[in-house]
Amino acid sequence: MNEKINEKISVVTVFDREKRTVMPQKIKWQGRIYIIDKIGYHHKVKQGKKLLHIFSVSNNSLAFRLELDTETLFWRLDEVSDGLAS
Amino acid sequence: MDLPLNRNLPLVMHIDMNSCFATAEQQANPLLRGKPVAVAAYTTGNGCVIAPSIEAKRYGVRVGMTVREARLLCPQIIVRPPDPPKYRDVHLKFSRIFKEYSPDVFPKSIDEAVLDFSGCQIKNKSLEDVGSEIKKRIKREIGEWISVSVGISTNRFLAKLAASLKKPDGLQTINWQNLEEVYDRVTLIDLCGINTRFQARLNARDIFTPLDFLKASRELLIKEVFQSIVGHYWYLRLRGWEIDAIEFERKSFGQSYALGKFTSDKRELARLLMKLTEKMGRRLRRHGYTALGIHVAVIYTDYTHWHRGETFATEMYTTGELFKKVMLVFNNQTHPSKKVAKLAVSCFKLFEKKFVQEELFRTEKSKNRDVTDAADKINNRFGEFVITPALMLGMDDLVLDRIAFGGVKELEDLYASPINL
Repeated sequence: MNEKINEKISVVTVFDREKRTVMPQKIKWQGRIYIIDKIGYHHKVKQGKKLLHIFSVSNNSLAFRLELDTETLFWRLDEVSDGLAS
Repeated sequence: MDLPLNRNLPLVMHIDMNSCFATAEQQANPLLRGKPVAVAAYTTGNGCVIAPSIEAKRYGVRVGMTVREARLLCPQIIVRPPDPPKYRDVHLKFSRIFKEYSPDVFPKSIDEAVLDFSGCQIKNKSLEDVGSEIKKRIKREIGEWISVSVGISTNRFLAKLAASLKKPDGLQTINWQNLEEVYDRVTLIDLCGINTRFQARLNARDIFTPLDFLKASRELLIKEVFQSIVGHYWYLRLRGWEIDAIEFERKSFGQSYALGKFTSDKRELARLLMKLTEKMGRRLRRHGYTALGIHVAVIYTDYTHWHRGETFATEMYTTGELFKKVMLVFNNQTHPSKKVAKLAVSCFKLFEKKFVQEELFRTEKSKNRDVTDAADKINNRFGEFVITPALMLGMDDLVLDRIAFGGVKELEDLYASPINL
């Protein structure tokens, strides 16, 4: 099931100079910390001149859609999914 | 005189992403992988399935079914709404890889492209090696769950057929040596461009298989089966000669919308038409055109339809100018009390907007055009529909972003976007 969340959240990211990657590693949402295992997909979306980076990330039980606003550098949790039919 | 099969080297490659939208969703969310997934225009029962995953296809779920029908076939199916920016991003990443192999890349739709290698030299490897390398790079650079089928042949038609021979993840070549063997394995409807109506025409002339089709004479195809030049094109196409490498110039801009809530309310329909017109006008202006013609089409809930096109004497440029004419055409509907299920507007007879000399005395028309250009600039900077015509207030969630089926013209907008440079 997918649930729309649309909440600002705290995110720990790691920039790897050698692999040239940026990876969200932990997120804190509603007082709980979730460790991220995998980036499924990363893409960019423009809203006017504003650039958003969308990270579709997951661990073995939940998938999260995170948005990084490059203007404010704030993270937002857009959606959570458990990968099951609703 | 009989034309022989094309014995040239196969240098046309067709690449087709398998179950594009559903696979992209599975790539983004690994918890969906290996499960039946369908991307549907709307996730409610009447929503139309636009892309079932490979797993969902095994349950018989097909494009065009309603979500309700898909759930009957496969109760555990996961239905997701479309995410066009993600699919466009996948398409752009594909295109970037393809352009490293051939300067002649022709996107056929959001999930298909043709690469023509006739103008380039491939050293020390075969086209099959190139196809295999592209497949590996897609998995490595775009996503490990994403697979494509690659077909190689002497023309676009056979390359597409080759790509369809093994799905998912195929790589097949059709050349003059295996052409008849391939035709022996497929049916008439497997040929791109032949559906039930053409099949019936062919059957009526004793052509029941692609091999019969290949063996049919040029005269039979032109004079009896297709009764036009189309028969000649099929005669060439089937033998591997290129006839489809034509890029058509743009002739119109259009937008359509399937109503979630059917209505015959004039005010509501006018608001929807305004939003469609604004989207159409934005694209018209982005490409630097004006239009002389307007076409409006309506499909009603009883599956009847009405449409009308008109050409006007003055060029239209602003959304206001276009909308006035859209309403003028729309008000000619013969059954205005019927409930509407789908609306479409388009503008045609396009002219490139020319440089206009500044006028000494500014007219209302030129002021309106300047205001429209300014509003477009604001929307470009702050996002679509930041400034909208008043009639569109409160319509944020209506007429959602969608990707046209088989459309390649909208990809022009995609390539023109600064994010994609």
